[in-house]
Amino acid sequence: MKILVTLDTKQYSQKIIKDVARLAGNTLADVVFLGVQEDGKKPAGTLSAALLKYHRDLCGYFGADESPYLEIEDENWQKDGADWSLSSRGLKEFRLLIRTGSVAQQTLAVAGEVGSDLVILGCSRKFGCEWDGEMNVPLRIARDAPCSVLVIKEVKKAGQIISILDQSKVSQDALELVNQLVTLHDAGLKIVGVKEKRSRKADKIEKKMVELLKYYNEREISAWIKLINADDVQDYVTASSKEGIVALWMGGKESLIKKLFSRSMVDRLLETTRSALLILR
Amino acid sequence: MLKTLLYIEEDLASSIALRFTGYLNKFIPLSLFVIHVEEPDAKDHVGGGLVQKAWEEGVSASGRRAVDRMLRTENIDCPLAGRPKIFVGNRTEEIIYELRSGTYQLHIEGYLDTADPEQFWAMLSSPLYTQAPCPILVVKNLSISKKCALLCADSVDPRKLVEKSMEVLGESTFGFDIVYFKFREQEELQLLDREEGGSNLRDCVALLGEHGKKADNMTVVSGTPEQVGDYLKDYALVASTLPGRKSMRMFTLANSLASVLLVH
Repeated sequence: MKILVTLDTKQYSQKIIKDVARLAGNTLADVVFLGVQEDGKKPAGTLSAALLKYHRDLCGYFGADESPYLEIEDENWQKDGADWSLSSRGLKEFRLLIRTGSVAQQTLAVAGEVGSDLVILGCSRKFGCEWDGEMNVPLRIARDAPCSVLVIKEVKKAGQIISILDQSKVSQDALELVNQLVTLHDAGLKIVGVKEKRSRKADKIEKKMVELLKYYNEREISAWIKLINADDVQDYVTASSKEGIVALWMGGKESLIKKLFSRSMVDRLLETTRSALLILR
Repeated sequence: MLKTLLYIEEDLASSIALRFTGYLNKFIPLSLFVIHVEEPDAKDHVGGGLVQKAWEEGVSASGRRAVDRMLRTENIDCPLAGRPKIFVGNRTEEIIYELRSGTYQLHIEGYLDTADPEQFWAMLSSPLYTQAPCPILVVKNLSISKKCALLCADSVDPRKLVEKSMEVLGESTFGFDIVYFKFREQEELQLLDREEGGSNLRDCVALLGEHGKKADNMTVVSGTPEQVGDYLKDYALVASTLPGRKSMRMFTLANSLASVLLVH
């Protein structure tokens, strides 16, 4: 598994490192920390120092002999095409990367280039969900990333993970991510199936829900299934986002949720969520 | 041993019901029987006498194969007390007849659709539920909880709730909470002072004591049926008297993510 974490020097970035460490450690993931600066011929001092500090902080969450990552010893940033980078290779690879350009654009580009399975970023609660004064950075990344995206607004224990499911395919990686969130938050999991009225696909969704229910029940994870009508999904999801972490499966061409959720809806979710939003692909 | 009749179709609701029954058996030793009814369309009926009998045997054999497949797939940790009972005819009539003639103490069936309270009400007001001679457990979800809730409210007869529930749960090793429901439209669920439960709540506690049980928690919850239904999810099952009308308590049970034990 590969995790790309987009970071800046703000507090919302600093706060997510512990969660990133636990997710990365549990999934034994290769990790890339990405910092994006507007321009410049060398890495900005504050950003490069922040990325190094985040890296050290993350390594610090593991015991001496159990970290899959090595600390970076040589802190001289290497020019690599348009990027500056540092890396270490322990059991797993850790890369720090600085690029110039727009945050959303570069995050999407790097996610594609490194074959990331998950992008993680924090955001401020100010004005809903904001990144360094801009409102559309988390939204663009959540909407357009080629992989799953976790936007963490506030690092706090969520009572439950509400996983909204439609007929799109459920990948093993996405399942694993949901497992990790459940473990991370010691939370229950609500599996909500969205069905269109008079749709034959309802059976398919029910089958998938029951499979998931059994999967989690066998692992002694509190899980519940609930079916809702497509007409009610937007209100339901908005209300749910206040109670816990909403995980939306938006993969595949068949995705009903993708069709139902306008850009403004994801925006609204990012605004209403009190903890985090996970877009699964 | 609690003599129990579990209804099985070859569907997802039955798959959950079977698994939950296996789980329930860890807390209440069950003497488990399985029933399935093949309901042929009117146009399927053929002839009479021997022809009719041969046709019924064919339909019945097909039902038996379906039940066997389900039992093999789920392979639950609860042995059957007898061969699956396969009938051809009207589902409600056959189940009620079997419940009466077999003097069962509990009937179990699965229910998957939580989207529509109207559908839940249609089920609760159907002849099977209103005429069943024993409590019915509606399995909605699987669980890893070791607790049950007794759902009390102003409209609930505490004696009926506790005594009838204890006929099923009295010998179990489940822990018990009493949840007192008060309807109120508000943004978030509120937990009120225990005094708000009034004499009904006090009676429930006392009656439970008469059955040698102690409520671990007595909670007065105030909110909408959706909020309270969600609150109940942490229980293995919620025991309630059968609502006689489309009350807020009925909507709460419809929204409950936990399985529902209906007594009357």
